[in-house]
Amino acid sequence: MSRRPRIRRPDELAAPPRFAGRIVDAELELLDRQVFDPDSVQVTTVDDLELTDVDAAHPDPDAPPEILCLLSGPVFGTRVFGGRPPESRFERVDWAHVARLTTAVALDVTAEVLDISWLERWFRDRVIARIPGGRHDPE
Amino acid sequence: MILSDLLGLRAYAADGEELGRVVDARFAIAGPEDHPLRTARMLGIIVSPRSHTSFMGYERTDVNSPALLARWFEHRGRGSFLVLWKDIASFGGGRMLLRPGAVLYSPKLEPQDG
Amino acid sequence: MKAISAVALGVLTAIGGFVDIGDLVTSAVVGSRFGLTLVWVLVIGTIGICLFAQMSGRVAAVSGRATFEIIRERLGARLALANLSASFLINLLTLTAEVGGIALSLQLATSISPVLWMPVAAFAVWLVVWRVKFSILENVTGLLGLALVVFAVAIFLLHPDWLQLGSQLLLQPPAQTSESPTTYWYFAIALFGAAMTPYEVFFFSSGAIEEHWKPKDLTQSRVNVFVGFPIGGLLSISIVVCAAIVLLPKGIAVTSLYQTALPVAQAAGTIGLIIAILGFVAATFGAALEVTLSSGYTLAQFFGWSWGKYRAPSQAARFHVVMILSLVAALGVLLTGVDPVQVTEFSVVFSAVALPLTYLPILIVANDPRYMGKRVNGRATNFVGLIFLALIVVASIAAIPLMIVTGAGS
Repeated sequence: MSRRPRIRRPDELAAPPRFAGRIVDAELELLDRQVFDPDSVQVTTVDDLELTDVDAAHPDPDAPPEILCLLSGPVFGTRVFGGRPPESRFERVDWAHVARLTTAVALDVTAEVLDISWLERWFRDRVIARIPGGRHDPE
Repeated sequence: MILSDLLGLRAYAADGEELGRVVDARFAIAGPEDHPLRTARMLGIIVSPRSHTSFMGYERTDVNSPALLARWFEHRGRGSFLVLWKDIASFGGGRMLLRPGAVLYSPKLEPQDG
Repeated sequence: MKAISAVALGVLTAIGGFVDIGDLVTSAVVGSRFGLTLVWVLVIGTIGICLFAQMSGRVAAVSGRATFEIIRERLGARLALANLSASFLINLLTLTAEVGGIALSLQLATSISPVLWMPVAAFAVWLVVWRVKFSILENVTGLLGLALVVFAVAIFLLHPDWLQLGSQLLLQPPAQTSESPTTYWYFAIALFGAAMTPYEVFFFSSGAIEEHWKPKDLTQSRVNVFVGFPIGGLLSISIVVCAAIVLLPKGIAVTSLYQTALPVAQAAGTIGLIIAILGFVAATFGAALEVTLSSGYTLAQFFGWSWGKYRAPSQAARFHVVMILSLVAALGVLLTGVDPVQVTEFSVVFSAVALPLTYLPILIVANDPRYMGKRVNGRATNFVGLIFLALIVVASIAAIPLMIVTGAGS
């Protein structure tokens, strides 16, 4: 059976109730955004979001999930091609570190202290620092 | 749970009618004055009968230029609606089931100052 | 001097877009086979790149977002990844061609085999990317690349038949040619794609952020675009005209940079040739810099890594690693003996195919007040932008079929 879903006209849809707080659509305004630290250093892009656990078969109508972390890393591959990496492979930035949302996500901690920057630090220490002039500041 | 668990699920009404696909999730963000973004609570999901993904969200926001493109994207996203969290009965295995009496709301976003 | 450094970014971007190794040869090919009947394509391509570079520069200055960040945000993960794969591959092909082009230019200057120059060229490009400040890089290569203006001078020194040139400009095919319409349109699309290659906007918008342009610098951004790119277009057109004047009547086929330089040698002797070769070296070197940096910019912006020549390399480690690996890969391909010019022909056609995925997000974001505040596109900009988007889509669809049917213009 492959009849396409019906398109409802605007007058068939109810006016949404008013919500308190700032309304953000995740796919539109959070996913794929750049994440910066207070020194304007790029940290990562938002590849996915980790939400509080919910019983998928019997979700509690009074307990909607909340955003726990921004996710990067292997989740990107699974977001594009399907599947889901094991939680041990999640690279996380706690939602608590998010200070501001504009056209990018601003954090309140520097990239240095975040676990997620380990790969950048690895390349810095193992590769770049070994080439003469790697630490030279151009400005 | 991760957000990708929800995106792309086929949504069905309680009577079995296929409504479309989940293309987005709407959150309300609030917090105390020193940490205004502390809690992001899911309000509901956006379902679209036509597109598999939202593609630029013209159908939800005020951006209406360039006019030709805006009209094309609005057309592609037409018929999408918001379903509140409490109206979701269950999800998993590629499908999401809504509760009987689930209300379909307009997905239009009020212009934000933030 | 201050005036030149103010527009250096625009000039350098234009050099990489209009007189890189591919254009240096293709412009001469086009002139020698079609006369001036394809110049209109270069004019339209110049207008198109001005429009989109201006938009991407404005977006970068006002919102602080570079073009590939926007592509990731607006197209979503899947489409953006497709764009990234295509763009990165095209960049790599182009980089291979440019490094090869530097070697070919140096061969013209020294008669030393290009194979010996290739590792030197790749290393020199890396050294500049690693160490030289962005503003110095753009000023020096931009200035030296302007030596190619010798081609414009040569036109007048050759005392051409102006009426004949004028009629070709108005699409009257010259008597000596007998090209088929499909070949004509293949070259039209190749020229259009070469004028509007995506790495130009990747480089220009990232360069805008390298220069720390803010909304108050919007005028400077505009001047960069409307001075730099037309200069690039005119340099390219000059090469076409020189070839039409000297090579076309004699039926000389263009197979290398040597034939490209021939008209200048004829018009201005040894001095002219030396200046032209200097221009070749500077232009191919500048293009190589632009494409190398674009490889780093696109990957880093897509994945959210720190990037920028304004940072120390240790603060942008993955950005620099990508560029090092790109240069190594380009050198590796070159040393297998491929002809850099042939590589360019492929990369130009493929970048014509990838154009829509790059330009659509730019057009959309330039209209989005959440990024641009009050500085969204005006009606006129949108009108022209949509026309060009349509042209880009047509070129993108027709590029590969035409390439197959005409055997890449042979």
